[in-house]
Amino acid sequence: MKLTTNRKLGLFVISFAAVYLILSYQLPSYAYTLIDADVVPKFLGWLLVFLGILLFISKDHETAEQKAQRNIPKKEVAVLLAVVAFIFLYIFLLEIIGFVITTVLFLFFCSRFLGYQNMKANILVSVLFPITIYTLFTYLLQISLPQGILPL
Amino acid sequence: MGSIEGILSGFQVAFSLEGILFVLIGVFVGTFIGMMPGLGPISAIAIMIPITYGMNPTMALVMMAGVYYGAVFGGSTSSILLNAPGISGTVATSFDGYPMAQKGQAGKALAIAAISSFVGGTISVILLMLFAPVLAAVAISFGPPEYFALMLLGLSAVSSLSDGSHVKALIAATVGFIIATVGIDAQSGTPRFTFGNASLLEGIDFLIIALGLFAIAEVASLILRRHDRTIQDQQNIGSLKLSKEDYKDIRGPAGRQSILGFIIGVLPGAGATIASFIGYITEKRIAKDKDEFGKGSVKGLAAPEAANNAATSGSFVPLLSLGIPGSGTTAVMLGAFLVMGLQPGPQMMTDRPEIFWGIIASMYIGNIFLLILNLPLIPYIAKVLKTPRPMLISLVIVFSLIGVYSVSFNTFHLYLLLAFGVIGYLMRLFSFPAPPFILAFILGGMMEQSLRQSLTISNGSLMIFLERPITLSLVVLTVFSLYIPVFQNKKKKQLVGEHGEEINS
Repeated sequence: MKLTTNRKLGLFVISFAAVYLILSYQLPSYAYTLIDADVVPKFLGWLLVFLGILLFISKDHETAEQKAQRNIPKKEVAVLLAVVAFIFLYIFLLEIIGFVITTVLFLFFCSRFLGYQNMKANILVSVLFPITIYTLFTYLLQISLPQGILPL
Repeated sequence: MGSIEGILSGFQVAFSLEGILFVLIGVFVGTFIGMMPGLGPISAIAIMIPITYGMNPTMALVMMAGVYYGAVFGGSTSSILLNAPGISGTVATSFDGYPMAQKGQAGKALAIAAISSFVGGTISVILLMLFAPVLAAVAISFGPPEYFALMLLGLSAVSSLSDGSHVKALIAATVGFIIATVGIDAQSGTPRFTFGNASLLEGIDFLIIALGLFAIAEVASLILRRHDRTIQDQQNIGSLKLSKEDYKDIRGPAGRQSILGFIIGVLPGAGATIASFIGYITEKRIAKDKDEFGKGSVKGLAAPEAANNAATSGSFVPLLSLGIPGSGTTAVMLGAFLVMGLQPGPQMMTDRPEIFWGIIASMYIGNIFLLILNLPLIPYIAKVLKTPRPMLISLVIVFSLIGVYSVSFNTFHLYLLLAFGVIGYLMRLFSFPAPPFILAFILGGMMEQSLRQSLTISNGSLMIFLERPITLSLVVLTVFSLYIPVFQNKKKKQLVGEHGEEINS
């Protein structure tokens, strides 16, 4: 039996459902409540097991186009992962060095990394955008974004 | 009498200076975001939600409605100019819009789209005004079993009618529901699936799901297509003028498809996408010049454009009168309502008529703005498409991050956003549709509540759903909707056969 994409996905769905079901059966349920907090999760877990099996046994209906979109060159996968790393770093630094500096750095380097050549425009947008947003949020919407190390 | 006063107060809101201003902002921003290939109404609404914090809820929602239909409209612009529909609702627009643009008549195509959308939008708003109160009046007697059955129908319909594999759509919906069970159970207070993490006690915020599954996941596709030069090479769009014959050709299809589109929009599950396809097919069937379709036919462009805008207004009927979204996009709209602390539904019409009617009345203004905005400004707006992709990508990411951060001020939620972005992208890769996921996630909490209330009423017997006439018919419809895909696959094959090249190119 060949392990097609659908079958792999089916197995993945079933294992996800299994973990969820194990957690659901650990939920406490009390004697005098008719439908307690565990009923719906248990039902959903079993439903997902059923659907996972259906996916496993069903024929592959994917069009050539849908399959083609999974053919991403290795280089592009690296680009996507790098952007994920950028975002990760942004989140990590946000509350430490503050919104304005982190955003300036992120906008500049992320755009540059993705191939934005125009240096002048890049610096202009990267600096002006965070300052505008910060001012707008702090003074107009009264939402305070992390100020970090800047004495704003 | 009450309802007349309500309508008047709604118009008062919509025609106030503030109201007009926010409709304008909403429509403009919506058109702008919708024009970006890949970014559709869901992303547009989700990105705008943080901006509404602290705003007057009526104005915020008037603006959001503007963002919604503005984005649908913006999507057709990129369909015509680039053959790159921003959203599935405007795929049918590209069938005849793009060939027209290739012939150097982009301006004419955009004008036809603008006028047909205006017709579709305006006719359907009138219908919305007639239908929504009627439905709300019926819904006022609904109890938990009716609401549960209704939401179940919406969910199964959306899953059945979404693109691709039906099983995958149902899996997406089930997982969406599962994600909704995270957090403290509202009825018993039991914390569920929180892994002892205090940040998960309140559950996962819907903005994280909406921005992650849509905006962030779309960013990934944008990154892969960042070198696409077609946009930069866009030629002059030509004259916007239409001849008398063109107007005559538009009239029939736009009028018919506005009404049909509205009805399809009201039905759960079927939204702008299906309305535009059905509009296209029916007009092709009844047209005398069938051969023109697909080569730049005026009728073939007017029909889907009127239909998708009419369906957009139509989808507000269940949202406003029942409080139940029938699609992924209206689910996000419902999220926007809930963020403002408002629960749409039959009570809203009586308790907050100025909001209920204000939103509807503002759509008149919004449609006029769309026409004004799009006809003379089109050449300038088209330039927007030239925004350098790398900068656009970085900005969308930052907007999404700020959006989530300003809800919770908690970086843990930002990591969750990133995680859901990755999940959303993987779902795309493996063709799991995201709209059933977001709809199930938003309805999940309400459905569980109403199910448990119903079963408490009936002492645990599921018969309660079969004994009441309304629930019984809704359950029958739900079962029926699960069979739609079988019928629909045949239809789709037929359509793809006819338009294979357009879809694949």
